[in-house]
Amino acid sequence: MSLMTMIMKMSEGLGKTCAIFFLTVLFSLPLGMIVALLRMSKNKIVSAVTRFFITVLRGTPLMLQLLAVTYGPYYLFGAGVARNKLIPVVIAFSINYAAYFAEIYRGGIESIPVGQYEAATVLGYTKFQTFMRIILPQVVKRIMPSVTNEIVTLVKDTSMAFTVSYQEMFTIGKQIANSQTSFMPFLVAGVFYYIFNLIVDRVMGRIEKRLDYYK
Amino acid sequence: MAEMKKNEAASPAILEICGLQKSFGELNVLKDISLDVEPGNVVSIIGPSGSGKSTLLRCATFLETANGGDILYDGQYAVKQGVYATKAELAKFRMRFGLVFQNFNLFPHYSVMKNITEAPLLHGREKTEVQEHAMSLLKKMGLEGKENAYPCQLSGGQQQRVAIARALALKPEILFFDEPTSALDPELTGEVLKVIRQLAEEKMTMVVVTHEMPFARAVSNRVIFMDGGVIVEQGHPEEVFGNPQQERTKQFLRNYQR
Repeated sequence: MSLMTMIMKMSEGLGKTCAIFFLTVLFSLPLGMIVALLRMSKNKIVSAVTRFFITVLRGTPLMLQLLAVTYGPYYLFGAGVARNKLIPVVIAFSINYAAYFAEIYRGGIESIPVGQYEAATVLGYTKFQTFMRIILPQVVKRIMPSVTNEIVTLVKDTSMAFTVSYQEMFTIGKQIANSQTSFMPFLVAGVFYYIFNLIVDRVMGRIEKRLDYYK
Repeated sequence: MAEMKKNEAASPAILEICGLQKSFGELNVLKDISLDVEPGNVVSIIGPSGSGKSTLLRCATFLETANGGDILYDGQYAVKQGVYATKAELAKFRMRFGLVFQNFNLFPHYSVMKNITEAPLLHGREKTEVQEHAMSLLKKMGLEGKENAYPCQLSGGQQQRVAIARALALKPEILFFDEPTSALDPELTGEVLKVIRQLAEEKMTMVVVTHEMPFARAVSNRVIFMDGGVIVEQGHPEEVFGNPQQERTKQFLRNYQR
């Protein structure tokens, strides 16, 4: 198989790689905020339960979580395995990444000086207004570098979908590598991820720059 | 809760505090504090660190929850024997006062203009009126042309003046200052004190916690000396500074002058 054919074949999986990536970003970023708020809940039970789930999600391999979400329903309830594996893959990725984002958000929220809350309270902002208008925008700026880090990792983590044979770029590459006894597909995959992340870096850099108008 | 205080319905005081108590765990920070602030008066609160001055302001502005006593604004109970009015009522009481913090606490992601105008706009005031009022406040604070600047581009003294404008934008009946110049270089202290002095001349009702003794003496109608969670002495500034009656007051002022 020529290098060109390899690249063409693997490119066919790029759409699915992108699907995992974008859908995970789309779901995990807001989900992480919900988890962060639950984690910071004044209700001790809510906060403890959330904390437990976060430790599980961060403390076990993403690969296991992928397998669990994809095949768990079959082993537990005898339910069929989803025909479109994108759904369990995105669910597993979103939950996993939400746990990481939640901790980043929490760190960001807790880093905002208490004086900001007090000033807003005295000026008559409601709790919701204070959070949405005063706290959140400052949190977003503070956590951007950490979020970029996670998103760069996510690009590479999409390759993990091969464990459930979801036909994204890396899974195809791995199949070609096996059938052709060639290392070439892995190099191609490496270049793909590198270019993908160059773009991610650019985009995130722009967003960070936009938030640079104040200190 | 928002009932008028009986017998004293005609009381002219904007703020009345009666038997206020506050403790943090075992520590009694405020022990039975009572004071009145009449319209147009400037009351300065002086005293050593840890005497409870700031806690008193924070209780008056509901940032701390008192354990006992009354707080009344315009003769209406916000706190009656340690029991607070409902959330909605407290929200209304908040509109009666403004607070200027030691560390300014401006919103760093907002321009000067937005820092000043957002709260009144959120309270449903009319946009052009709010903006015009903000511009006139900035002019008064000597900050013309700074409306589009961000707090990080301003000096500490300028930031504090923006904070004063922000508090005034809500047209409070009484303005509290919690050590407004303590975070400033001595050079910048003067410009903030000048603005407060100007407000005093305009008969703005103010309560100022301060370590600036000459300022307190010159601007206040009444000086309160606090120590150990109680009001040790209070009176006209010339009495308190010129002829203090209590040994503790004398000692504090002596140490201060040294």
